[in-house]
Amino acid sequence: MRYLIRRLLSLIPTLLGVTIIVFLLLRLIPGDPAVAMLGEHASQENVQRIREQLGLTRPLFLDREALKQGDFKGFLDSQYLRFLGRLVRGDLGASIHRRIPIAQELAQRFPATVELALAAMAVAVAVGIPIGIISAARRNTWIDSVSMVGALVGVSMPIFWLGLMEIMLFAVILNWFPIGGRLDHAIEVRRITGLLLIDSLVTGHWAAFWDAVKHLAMPVLALATIPLAIIARMTRASMLEVLQEDYIRTARAKGLHQRLVLFRHALKNALLPVVTIIGLQTGNLLAGAILTETIFAWPGIGKWVYDAIVGRDYPVVQGGTLLIALVFVLVNLLVDLSYAALDPRIRYE
Amino acid sequence: MSERPVFAELPRRRRTLWGDAWRRLIASPTARLGMAIVVTFVLGTVLAHFLWPYDPKTDLDYSLKLKPPTLRPTPDVPSIHPFGTDKLGRDVFRRVVHGGWNSLRVGVISVGISLIVGGLLGLLAGFYESVPLTAGERMGLMAGIGLALGSVPAWIAAQPVQAVLFAALGALSASVAVSWPNGRRWRILPLAGLLIGAVPSFFVSPYVALVNGLLGLTIGGILVFPLGGPLFSNIVMRVMDIILAFPSILLAIAIVAFLGPGLDRAMIAIGFVGIPTYARLMRATVLSLVQRDYVLAAQAVGSGHTRILFRHILPNTLSPIIVQSTLGLGSAIIWAGALGFLGLGAIPPEPEWGAMLGDSYRFLTSGAWWAVTFPGIAIMLSVLGFNLLGDGLRDALDPRLTR
Repeated sequence: MRYLIRRLLSLIPTLLGVTIIVFLLLRLIPGDPAVAMLGEHASQENVQRIREQLGLTRPLFLDREALKQGDFKGFLDSQYLRFLGRLVRGDLGASIHRRIPIAQELAQRFPATVELALAAMAVAVAVGIPIGIISAARRNTWIDSVSMVGALVGVSMPIFWLGLMEIMLFAVILNWFPIGGRLDHAIEVRRITGLLLIDSLVTGHWAAFWDAVKHLAMPVLALATIPLAIIARMTRASMLEVLQEDYIRTARAKGLHQRLVLFRHALKNALLPVVTIIGLQTGNLLAGAILTETIFAWPGIGKWVYDAIVGRDYPVVQGGTLLIALVFVLVNLLVDLSYAALDPRIRYE
Repeated sequence: MSERPVFAELPRRRRTLWGDAWRRLIASPTARLGMAIVVTFVLGTVLAHFLWPYDPKTDLDYSLKLKPPTLRPTPDVPSIHPFGTDKLGRDVFRRVVHGGWNSLRVGVISVGISLIVGGLLGLLAGFYESVPLTAGERMGLMAGIGLALGSVPAWIAAQPVQAVLFAALGALSASVAVSWPNGRRWRILPLAGLLIGAVPSFFVSPYVALVNGLLGLTIGGILVFPLGGPLFSNIVMRVMDIILAFPSILLAIAIVAFLGPGLDRAMIAIGFVGIPTYARLMRATVLSLVQRDYVLAAQAVGSGHTRILFRHILPNTLSPIIVQSTLGLGSAIIWAGALGFLGLGAIPPEPEWGAMLGDSYRFLTSGAWWAVTFPGIAIMLSVLGFNLLGDGLRDALDPRLTR
C-alpha cells in the first residue's frame, strides 16, 4: 500500500515533465510557428487567429512585466500554464486545418489503435512465450537454433518494410487480404466499445467480424514481429536461468514429469521479467503504430499524427504524442504494480 | 639433438582481457557472420563514398523509370541495373550502396551523442551516489544548485546578479556555515535568501520584491540542507525517466516533425532519445564497480576523484558500453530508416534507405517490387549484422553469462 502511494506520487514529476516536453516541442519550430503552420502566403488574420489559439501572444512560462504592475493573475497567465490548465480540463485545442477539437478526434480514433496494439500483443505473447519455452527446454538443438536466429531476424526487422512486403505478397500477388483500412465500406457495425472485433461479436454480426479479422491480419503480423521476437528471446533467457535453480533439480530428482517441472515450477518464476518486457513493448507498439497505420491506412491515432506531420498541423502532433506518452506511463505503472503483486519476494520499501 | 624439454619450445601464449574476448568472439559462428556483414557494409559504403562518386541531382533518366532488374543490356534498357530503377529512372543498386553511407553516418553520430552525454551523466551519477563529495565538490554542487534555483528570481526581476548571489549563498552554506549548529543555519540562511531575493528586486517594483522575497526564503531553506551526491544522481535519473516516459521512436519522430526534416536533425533526435539508455547502463555499471577493492584501494591511497573516475572506473565500464553501442547502431539505423520513410529523414534527391522506401512504396501495387525490396533488405541485413555482432560481443566480453 505504501509502495502504491509512493509510486503514484512519483508520477507527478514525470507527468509534469512530459507536459513540459510536449509543450516545448512547439518551440523547436524554426521561425514563427503560426507562419510555419499556415505557409508563407497565409493571410494576416489567419496567422493572428493561430497565434491567439496557441497563446503565442503570451510569454512562455511567467509574465514578469505583468508582475511589475502588480498584476498577479497576469503574472501566471502564460503559454505553459494555459496549456496545462486546458489539459486538466481535457482540452487539447483544435486542429489548425480542420478546426475540430483534437481531444474528441483522438478519442474517436483511439479504439482503432488500441485494437491493433492489443491484437498484435496477443499474437506476440501467444506465439513468443511458447517459442521461448521450447527453445529453453530443447537447448542447443536445431529447434533452438532456428527459433533464436528467427528471433534475431525479427528484432532486426524494419516493420515498415515488413508491412510493405506483406502488402506485396498477400494483397497484390495472392490477393488474400484487403490492402488497407479497417472495415469494408459496405459493412456497418454498431459502435459499443469501438473495438470492431468485440462490437461485431457482441452484436452477432459475423460477416463484419470476419471482414475485420481480414483487415487486421497484415498490420498485426507486421506490428507483432518485434515484440514476438523480443518476448521469445526473453522467455528463453529467463527460463534457462530458472532451470538452473536448486528447486528445479529437486523437482526433477523427485521424478516429476518434465512437462510438470517446466510449466508448474519453472514458468511461473521465469515469466516475471517477461511481464516487464511486455509492458515496455506495449509503448513501442503504440509508437510503432505511426508507421504501421500509415502503411495500412488504418484509421487510428498514428495515421492521424502522420497526416498532421505532413500537413504541419502541429497541435495534432502534440496531442497525439501526449496521449501515447500518457498511455505508456500508465501501462508502465500497471506493470510495476503487477510485478509487486506477482512476486511475493518483492517488497518495495 | 637438444636436451631442452619439449614444452619450452612452445611459444607461451600471452593472455590479455581483450585477447581472450577476441578469441571467444571469433569462436562463435553467429558472431563471425555478424562481423562479416558489418565489415562488408562498412567497407562497401565507405569505399563507394570515396571511390565511386555519385551525384543524386543529375542521376535522372525518365526513359528508364521503374524498369525491373537486368543483368545484361537489352535494346529496351541499354544499361545494367541489378536492382532495377526507381520512379525517376535512377539505378536502385547505386542508391542502395550510397544510401548506406547516410545510414552509417546517422548510426555513428547519433550513438556518439547518446554515448557521450548519457555515459558522462551516468558515470557521475553512479559515482557520486556512493562516494561522498569532497569539500570542494560539495561547494561546487551547492553553488550550482543555488545558481539554478536563483535563476528563477533573477529572471523575474531581470537582474542576473541575484543568481550569482544565490550561488554564493550555496557555496557559503557548503563551506563556512558547515560548522554552524543547525539552529543557526536555520535562522541565517533563509533570512539571507529573503534579503537576496527582496532587496535588489525592490528597485524594480514592490510586487516583484514580494514574490522574489518568498522565492528567496524558499531557496535559502533548501540550501540549509547539506545537499550531496545522491541528490545530483536523483535529479539526473528523474530527468532520464521523463525522457523514458515517451516511447523513444515516438519522441524522435515528434522532435524531427517540429524541427523540420533533415538528416542532421534525425541524428540529433535519435541521439537525444538514446541518452537515458546509456545513462542508466553506465550508472548501474558504476554502482557495481565503486565497492570493488581496487577502487577502495585507490581511494585509500588518496587518488583524486577525477583520477579514480577516468583511470579506474571508466576502463572497466567499457564492455557493457561496447555491447550496448553495437546494438544501438542497429536500432539507430532502423530509426533513421523509419524517419526517412515518414519523409522526416534525408531530403529527397539524397539517397537514404528509408526515404527510398517512402518514395517507391506507392508503385508496389503496379508491380514495381524491386524499388521497395532491395533498400529494405539493406536495412534488415545491416541491422542484423550489428545485432549478431552485439550478441556475440556480449557473450565474448562477459564469459559468466555463457555456460
